Amino acid sequence: MRASFVSSEVVNGLRRNVSMTIAMILTTAVSLTLLGSGLVVVRKVDQAQESLQQAADVVVYLNDDVSANDSTCEQQPCAGLRSELEQASGVQSVEYQNRQQVYQRAIKKFENRPELREIARPEALPAALWVELGQNVDPAAVQQQFGDSAGVANVDNQSEFVQQMVGKLNDVRDGTFLIAALQAFAALLLISNTIQLSAFNRRTETGIMRLVGASRWYTQLPFLLEAMVSGIIGSLAAVGLLVVIKEAFLDGLMQPLTNAGLLTPVSYADIAFVSPVLVLVASVISGLTGYLTLRLYVRI
Amino acid sequence: MIRLEHVSKTYKTLARPALDDVSVSVDKGEFVFLIGPSGSGKSTFLQLLLREEVPSDGRVIVADWNVAKLPRRRVPKLRQRVGCVFQDFRLLNNKTVSENVAFALEVIGKPRHTIRKVVPEVLQLVGLDGKADRMPAELSGGEQQRVAIARAFVNRPLVLMCDEPTGNLDPDTSQDIMLLLERINRTGTTLVMATHDHSIVDSMRRRVVELSHGKVIRDDARGVYGVGR
Repeated sequence: MRASFVSSEVVNGLRRNVSMTIAMILTTAVSLTLLGSGLVVVRKVDQAQESLQQAADVVVYLNDDVSANDSTCEQQPCAGLRSELEQASGVQSVEYQNRQQVYQRAIKKFENRPELREIARPEALPAALWVELGQNVDPAAVQQQFGDSAGVANVDNQSEFVQQMVGKLNDVRDGTFLIAALQAFAALLLISNTIQLSAFNRRTETGIMRLVGASRWYTQLPFLLEAMVSGIIGSLAAVGLLVVIKEAFLDGLMQPLTNAGLLTPVSYADIAFVSPVLVLVASVISGLTGYLTLRLYVRI
Repeated sequence: MIRLEHVSKTYKTLARPALDDVSVSVDKGEFVFLIGPSGSGKSTFLQLLLREEVPSDGRVIVADWNVAKLPRRRVPKLRQRVGCVFQDFRLLNNKTVSENVAFALEVIGKPRHTIRKVVPEVLQLVGLDGKADRMPAELSGGEQQRVAIARAFVNRPLVLMCDEPTGNLDPDTSQDIMLLLERINRTGTTLVMATHDHSIVDSMRRRVVELSHGKVIRDDARGVYGVGR
């Protein structure tokens, strides 16, 4: 196979169909940007779930009296509460954190928000029992059982919050994927159209190639490569668009969530992680669409 | 070299068959005129030899290949052994004369050094040496047909099929093209030429196969266009 011949055919084909090629690249880029965004959201949700589930499932906040007077949880009612929790079914571990430890934890959590660090005082924060539950244990039952116990200010069901947030992020992901799918469909039609147009423009060449005994593969390869080159350029443009979106909008938009420690910011590592997927998807989809178009609609 | 055995070809859109029980045999190195009015089956005959079409019935043998039974992936190999020339030249207008000829070798993956050697040789054979760098639009009709013949012959096919090669040319130029085809035939290449050109057929006195309504109605070893002319 003559690589120089095939590559010159590909370049000529793309040049001849320049407006369609640009349309194909842009549509592919937009579609893959949405797909890339969806993949980044999936990654962020996974990371958030992991980090939030590392924390306690249920937090039992103790009242002011206990928080102020019992820094080791060895007195009543804290010691009794702790022992009751440890013996409750489904509880894996219980960890006590006194005011000072809760304060240290808050300082660490708000390391990017000096204004909150300034106003935080250990006296304003309650001591807490951090309860880790086993799998398939309903945190609401624990919440109900210990909500009214002596020394308890309130019981916070952390998993409920995690589920709500993950649910919202999953909605964002699903919406993004839906639009990406519609765009991808438009991109497929454009790829198919462009190949048909390209084959029509070059019907004399392909007719001669067929008659002089060029193999079907040799005749089709330039068209397939045209589609794949456009697809790959589109995917690289999509990576560029993801960088632009991150810098221009996303970092600012996500700041409240990242500052609250609920999500980690979208990093270049996240974009680098999804980029090979985008390039691979673009190559496979455009190649496959090209192949099917040539088989079904174009006589070569 | 070419054998059609009881070949019929029917198209769904036509009431009568394009070819109807045709049996013709052409030896290696023969020069055969295929004549007959429009719609008599000449083009179908040529398309069957190239595996552009497959027969509805019967066998088509070209250079020991049973063309109808040839697997799809082997068809290019057949076409590399059967050159073809058309009335409308079918040149690539954005390529020079030598590029047009080289194209036929490039697309079948011939090495560059072979192409560089054989293209000037074939251009000399067809009388176009010195015009290798011209564009098709700068050539006369006769010269363009020479380029098309060079392209069909550059891979040294066993059979050269010509479909009305002089149909767009004036009588003098047609005569020159026929001399060229005769020269190619003398190299041992079998030549099958479909034509309506009375004067060429009459002057060359070669084998004539006449088709009418898809049937062979005449097969003369040294015939003329019309019987009794």
